[in-house]
Amino acid sequence: MSVAKPLPHDAAHLHVTGAARYVDDIPTPAGTLHLAFGMSTAACGTLNNMDLDAVRAAPGVVAVLTAPDLPFDNDVSPSAHDEPLLATDAVHYVGQPVFLVIAETHLQARFAARLGKIDITETKPVFTIEDALAANARFEDGPRIYAQGDAASALDAAENTLSGSLDIGGQEHFYLEGQAALVQPGENGDMHVISSTQHPTEIQHKVAEAIGQPMHAVRVETRRMGGGFGGKESQGNALAVACAVAVRLTGQPCKMRYDRDDDMIITGKRHDFRIDYDIGFDEEGHITALDVRQYTRCGWALDLSLPVADRAMLHADNGYWLPNIRIESHRLRTNTQSATAFRGFGGPQGMLGMERIVDHVAAELGLDPLVVRQRNFYASSGQEIQTTPYGQPVEDFILDDLVAQLAKTSDYDARRAAVAEWNAANPVLKKGIALTPVKFGISFTLTHLNQAGALVHVYSDGSIHLNHGGTEMGQGLFQKIAQVAASRFGVALDAIKITATDTAKVPNTSATAASSGSDLNGMAVKAACDTLRDRMAEHLAQLHQCHPDAVVFAEGRVQAGEADYSFAEVAAMAHQARISLSATGFYKTPDIQWDRIKGHGRPFFYFAYGAAVTEVVVDTLTGENRILRADVLHDAGASLNPALDIGQVEGGYVQGAGWLTTEELVWDDAGRLRTHAPSTYKIPACGDRPDIFNVSLWDGENRADTIYKSKAVGEPPLMLGISALLALSDAVSACGPNYPDLHAPATAESVLASVHKAQDA
Amino acid sequence: MSKKMHIKLNVNGKDEEFLAEPRELLIYTLRERLNITGPHIGCETSHCGACTVTIDGKSVKSCTMFAAQADGAEITTIEGIGNPDDLHPLQTAFKEHHGLQCGYCTPGMITRATKLLEENPTPTEEEIRFGMAGNICRCTGYQNIIKSIQAAAAEMNAAKEAAE
Amino acid sequence: MYNFDFEKPESVADAIAALQGEEAQALGGGQTLIPTLKQRLASPSTLVSLKGIAEMQGVCMGDDGSVCIGGATNHATVAAEAGAYPALADTAAHIGDPAVRNRGTIGGSLANNDPSACYPAAALGSGATIVTNARQIAADDYFQGMFTTALDEGEIITEVRFPVPEKANYQKFVQPASRFALVGVYVAKYADGVRVAITGASNDGVFRWAEAEAALSANFSASALDGLSLSGDDMISDLHGTGEYRAHLCAVMTKRAVAAA
Repeated sequence: MSVAKPLPHDAAHLHVTGAARYVDDIPTPAGTLHLAFGMSTAACGTLNNMDLDAVRAAPGVVAVLTAPDLPFDNDVSPSAHDEPLLATDAVHYVGQPVFLVIAETHLQARFAARLGKIDITETKPVFTIEDALAANARFEDGPRIYAQGDAASALDAAENTLSGSLDIGGQEHFYLEGQAALVQPGENGDMHVISSTQHPTEIQHKVAEAIGQPMHAVRVETRRMGGGFGGKESQGNALAVACAVAVRLTGQPCKMRYDRDDDMIITGKRHDFRIDYDIGFDEEGHITALDVRQYTRCGWALDLSLPVADRAMLHADNGYWLPNIRIESHRLRTNTQSATAFRGFGGPQGMLGMERIVDHVAAELGLDPLVVRQRNFYASSGQEIQTTPYGQPVEDFILDDLVAQLAKTSDYDARRAAVAEWNAANPVLKKGIALTPVKFGISFTLTHLNQAGALVHVYSDGSIHLNHGGTEMGQGLFQKIAQVAASRFGVALDAIKITATDTAKVPNTSATAASSGSDLNGMAVKAACDTLRDRMAEHLAQLHQCHPDAVVFAEGRVQAGEADYSFAEVAAMAHQARISLSATGFYKTPDIQWDRIKGHGRPFFYFAYGAAVTEVVVDTLTGENRILRADVLHDAGASLNPALDIGQVEGGYVQGAGWLTTEELVWDDAGRLRTHAPSTYKIPACGDRPDIFNVSLWDGENRADTIYKSKAVGEPPLMLGISALLALSDAVSACGPNYPDLHAPATAESVLASVHKAQDA
Repeated sequence: MSKKMHIKLNVNGKDEEFLAEPRELLIYTLRERLNITGPHIGCETSHCGACTVTIDGKSVKSCTMFAAQADGAEITTIEGIGNPDDLHPLQTAFKEHHGLQCGYCTPGMITRATKLLEENPTPTEEEIRFGMAGNICRCTGYQNIIKSIQAAAAEMNAAKEAAE
Repeated sequence: MYNFDFEKPESVADAIAALQGEEAQALGGGQTLIPTLKQRLASPSTLVSLKGIAEMQGVCMGDDGSVCIGGATNHATVAAEAGAYPALADTAAHIGDPAVRNRGTIGGSLANNDPSACYPAAALGSGATIVTNARQIAADDYFQGMFTTALDEGEIITEVRFPVPEKANYQKFVQPASRFALVGVYVAKYADGVRVAITGASNDGVFRWAEAEAALSANFSASALDGLSLSGDDMISDLHGTGEYRAHLCAVMTKRAVAAA
């Protein structure tokens, strides 16, 4: 059976030869026009007048559009209809698209876009959390509050209390392939859109609105993305819509791709947060009371900020039983890029807040943070079930066992002792170690998104073609799905072909997001395959006088009674017998319901778990640091493909560690993003990965009934990187008596400042 | 007004001649003029390495070089390193050892690695890190990229020994 | 990018002639100039590539024992061939990344005099002589503030001569994204004294730290630097580091360079 085999990525042979095509690699028809946005230079103000004569006169320019030129809806928001494609009467951040250039070449469009003169009357912008709170600039009327027990009374009654605050920076996706779309005109006003998107249906929906057509007039295809990480869940809308509008105007194919600078300046990033906390705890470190305030800068438009902020609240507990907790979440409106989905979707920020809280308690009590973590873990499965702060029973908890195993395999205790010994002997280089767990909720919190469809054809030669609603961005979804299909039909993997995700094949899809790709689409494909298999089995059963259940599909053969056929023979026979060899499949996640206003219910089908131990060394004279070793044990359930899953875990860890250490976004006083290129924004390079990196998968299947008992693996491993930040904090702790109060990202300069904080008498 | 230049290149063994503006960057020549789309545009500032090609035996970021500067040169892109029926050991290794996810960095990564292994056929892990410093991958965390290069080096050295 | 004409002369004389044109500009490997052109921060009418000039290529030993590097020699070549001056070869080996080192040239780097570049520290720290088509300029006279040098319009660096010190070392604290120096300190011990040149830190570009030089000339050990510090007031303060941090790093990296020399 194909499932569970560590097979390479489905397009690996194309990638290694340069033959895998991304949007920008697709040969364009003659006459294809190219687009670029002119952008706002002010963070906040009234848009008075635009002098675009020089733009129109620039070489190669075909047309220049502003908001009044748009024929129908001027909106690219995935949520609240508050995000015009082109600014209307006001601008809200530096980089906001205000006009659209259509030119003969990409470089001509970009050149011309810089020639616009935009007259803006600037008004006072809102940049910081403090600005936003003072101006009451926020989404929703006030903060959301989720609670369990009575945090206020429990704080009053607590043996010890402690307060603190943690700043958590945002993160640029830096998908290697920038945003891109190519739109070609069909007959009768139809549009064919090829988009680098995680959400083809959303692109279809926004394009249809923008050209005043029903969704059936728009077909969106996505074969692959050069990385997504959440950054292509909604941020591709603008390019596809711009192209479609330009196609409608010119009748010619249109293509748009952002240059890296534009991509970083225009598109949203991970939400940055400040988390304030008051903790009540006993002498053993049990957290008896917790009051957490989460403040996040959502940027200028709503985008996906509400579910992101909700998910931060839903992970404020991480793996810990908190009988008395109150979580208050402020979703602040600022004159910056509209923050968007990014791997973990708020979960990492909420979880980091809790890990910091446990770490602070341990430091206060002088206990090993791992011991405090273990003392606060939820009860493991088999014991009395405890509930999360939002009322979901934690029935599948394995962190106690998983962490114990990791502590053993990583030799945690001995290494912690060795670190202490090293630190006692070395005044300049200090080492630190931290083990942090991950418990991540799997399902879209917007319940209706937890559905998926598939379309499977068996051809009369036995080859199988399928489509599903998920998109491929490098995570290996297509290969996992092919493995599922091959297993259902008992055929070799090369019998299966999956072609580009296509809204004309599978409609009304959800974004490939929330780690849900293989859970949802795997089940939908399984359903479709089983429908076809059952039809074939039924036919053979009649032919050979056996029960359909006794027909066996395995290793490319089909056995029915005494008969033994190749799969291809059965396909041909079924065709001759006029049996339909095409089927759709559908899946919806069972057992979930959620009230996001009350903050109560069962938003998640199950939890994915993992843990990492990171050891670091810090130069206390400069703040330089590096990861010496990382050990990871991650729960992917019964893995559909361990090689791909381990790849997700390794990549997630490094991306998470990058987020919390080197990846710093800096805006200047005028609201301009200063880190808009890889020369200023540092993502991990080859030399930044841990010197020693041991990654294993937890041996156990999902308790929930998922596809072959596997677990979602896209987002959870990112949060393993939290151990890197807390290991740095541990190293800095060795410099003096004070809690280091290290914020994220822990750049060298901020680590040095933290060293001084620890040392100060 | 500037003079167009008559430029001759040999790309993946094939002679190419054309007239181009001096400002034409080599990555555009390859991708748009010659339809060689393996080298990708990632950052256009010579930092990400997605556009890495080999010019006269040396790794170069083709986004930060004019076609005019390459006049007369021999250029190898990923397309010239191997093809699906005849993979270079590095291509096989990146495939078998999962040295890729989204694949966008892969052509530049492998093209650079071919030179790394020419310069140093038996690199240590540290030397691989140093030698691959100019090629960014956002997906893999590099673990499998390093494994792939090590595996290819072993394979190539074994083949060389067998031949001797 | 604005358009321009492109010349590729094969001799210094032809290059100088080509550079006489209005707004003509010399082009080394282009690793700095091409990004500058892309941002339209420069608009030369003609680019004169120096890469085709054989007499400006390569590394050799001068009669006085100095290491002489052709102005159009790339960093990878210096790293590989300047073994007679190991600290210099090592400095070149850590500029940018492998592909950048295959294109970028020493002449291009010194002519540009980026305040965070490595070669200016090596040249000033070594008391190198910058040889142009017209004259020889001592490094002490050559660097005149960030992006400013003693070069006249149309003058090109044909060679750089580095006297080889008894001991030397370059310590770079990298700005991790760009791999330029957030602070880079080049320390070289000669028979007649020690030179300490610092790049990346000052608003005035590469500079010599006189106090440190005096202390180290008297006693070439890291401890001789105890108590010495620079003020952060005149240091670059930007998104990658405050002036105070850079000043702090100057002292730490100087000690490291001495210890490693």
